[in-house]
Amino acid sequence: MKVLVTGASGFLGQAVVAAFLRRGHQVRAMVRPSARAEELPWGHSVEFFRADLRVDSRLVDAFDGIDALVHLAACVIGDDATHFTSTIGGTERLLQAMAQSATRRIILASSFSVYGWREARRTLDESTPLAKDMYKCGAYAIAKIWQERVARRISQTNGWDLTVMRPGVIWGPGHELVTLVGPAFGPLQLVIGIGKQLPLTYVENCADCFVKATEAPAAAGETFNIVDEEGVTAWRYAAEYLRWRKSPKVRIPVPYSAGMLTAMFVAACSRWLFKGGGKVPSLFMPSRFALYRPLRFNCRKLKERLGWEPPRSYQQALECVFRSQQQVAVTNTPRQQNAQGNQIPGEIEENAQKTYRTS
Amino acid sequence: MPAIKAALIGTGRIAQEHLACVQQLPGVEMSGVCDRYGAVAEMTAERFGVGAWFSDHRRMLEVLKPDVVHVTTPPTSHVPLVLDALDAGCHVFVEKPITTSYGDFLLLKTRAEERRRFLIEDHNFTFNEPIRRILGLMNSGEFGEVQHVDVFYCASLLGAWSPFADRNATHPAFALKGGPIADILPHLASLTYVFVGPHISVRTLWRRTGAAEHLPKDEFRALVEAERGTATLGFSSHAQPNSIWVRVYGKKMQAEANLMEPRLNIDRLRPCNPGLLPLRNGIQESWDVGKGAVRGFWRRLAGRPLSNEGMWELLRRTYAALQTGAEPPVSMSQLDAVSRLVADLTKEELQF
Repeated sequence: MKVLVTGASGFLGQAVVAAFLRRGHQVRAMVRPSARAEELPWGHSVEFFRADLRVDSRLVDAFDGIDALVHLAACVIGDDATHFTSTIGGTERLLQAMAQSATRRIILASSFSVYGWREARRTLDESTPLAKDMYKCGAYAIAKIWQERVARRISQTNGWDLTVMRPGVIWGPGHELVTLVGPAFGPLQLVIGIGKQLPLTYVENCADCFVKATEAPAAAGETFNIVDEEGVTAWRYAAEYLRWRKSPKVRIPVPYSAGMLTAMFVAACSRWLFKGGGKVPSLFMPSRFALYRPLRFNCRKLKERLGWEPPRSYQQALECVFRSQQQVAVTNTPRQQNAQGNQIPGEIEENAQKTYRTS
Repeated sequence: MPAIKAALIGTGRIAQEHLACVQQLPGVEMSGVCDRYGAVAEMTAERFGVGAWFSDHRRMLEVLKPDVVHVTTPPTSHVPLVLDALDAGCHVFVEKPITTSYGDFLLLKTRAEERRRFLIEDHNFTFNEPIRRILGLMNSGEFGEVQHVDVFYCASLLGAWSPFADRNATHPAFALKGGPIADILPHLASLTYVFVGPHISVRTLWRRTGAAEHLPKDEFRALVEAERGTATLGFSSHAQPNSIWVRVYGKKMQAEANLMEPRLNIDRLRPCNPGLLPLRNGIQESWDVGKGAVRGFWRRLAGRPLSNEGMWELLRRTYAALQTGAEPPVSMSQLDAVSRLVADLTKEELQF
């Protein structure tokens, strides 16, 4: 299978490209014009297509000979307008180009942020409704909800097979800080919701899901949440993170209900003082504070429909992250080749295939 | 009286301020938005409760027949959009810079005059509260004749979230003579105009320090001789924090404002011992700075605009003028003088 991966040079994108190569697929990696493609680990194993989804006029060429689009590109930082133009406008342009091609399969990377966390019952799963008042959410969430809308609409019009993947919190080397733990103030690391489970998905596990969903005909027309199997609590993750960072910060438990009551009180005061027009820091916006809500998450649907098992356990992932951060130099052993003779990127191969020199 | 029907073309960053402002103006209905990204237009319409969205501005003009069109697209696209809106019989409120050349401005001016429609460029900072207060003191004669105005704008062009830092989709301002700094010049030019009138001559210094490799220029200074006084203008991409300092020197008073926050200090001649004057002005200044800081913080909590407050005031006055049949808050002669000054500030032969 030949896949087009957008956002290929991003944190998740690199892992997804590597996962496809490992499974013997051909990859066309779409990266932005300013991306340093030569520094990416795939060498000649992938075709590069340089384009910015917002402005490029040759997007249709990217679909030449492509069986499936894996659309990961989205804005993760910037102001509202940047989020909307990049994520919504970019997706619209990309899919309009796809409509002029023979490609009919699309796997879209969405996010847990699209859900209405306040509306969820005990477990947040694929049946949880989307955020009811989405325009009170942050720009990232608004853009992701609209990105899904656009993808569903255009897919339906063209009769494509769309699979929407909604990862929880993707973590891995370089992305260890998980904001859902709670904010930090000076020497204090607040942990909101003491026994709260984090919807973690290790980047390699998450990438594996994208490959599984692309390969499986049963995934067409479905939406899947991606979280790893084990329920890691915020309290435990904070401890491991602080220990690894050798941080002197002290964990302070904050019950979710106390935090939410405070947020509601502050929001009510603001509404009363400013006749509904007030603005409070996002931590005191109940709709955003709800992201700290203690909920349960699972990957039941992924397991049932796709037979997915996370390739790495939490403990193995932790070891990978810690070790990769301790290294001062990485030397790849000669790269393995997959069945089609493509090189397999070293850094996502098993640790045994890597030589680390630590200080 | 039926509501004035407005429409907006270009739903980017500044458009959100326009929409938020128009939403709360009495007797004005934002009837449609248009953007080349149809889905973004649709999202914006839903977000701001606007009834219709389009990805083709001509279709929007034809279907909605708005009274007023806000053009909030990048400057290089303004001319055809404004002409189409004027030809459709609409008043036009356009973001700065209104055009990329003085010749293009004259084209728009002629068409607006032929059609007898408002053509207003967003000279927003001239409507910020501190500037209005200084102008009020000038008009009442308390300030004395203005001798000089100094405007210095500090903004990191390549800072976090700056649209100019995006190297993948180059900002249209790079097509302007002077690059992104030219996008700022109408602010400096309009503030110059309101204090010292149309310019007579200018001297400019454009610098490229090299600290920002893909910027054509990152520092700008100008000395302007105008009909009622002089002005020094500056823009720095490196001086921090971001600020817009305006210092006005009159015969009886001197005023200093930072338009990023509602701060205004006024030094004046006082009937007291000259030895005590610095002390009295100092106490007054401390009071003004403290008051400005508290007001800025309060305004932030209230969700009210800070540096963009002038745009809200200008829009309010524009629609009020349309409702009452009064003159527009920014005259055509002001637009002409500001466009001419911007053109002269970017003329290469006038550089040191």
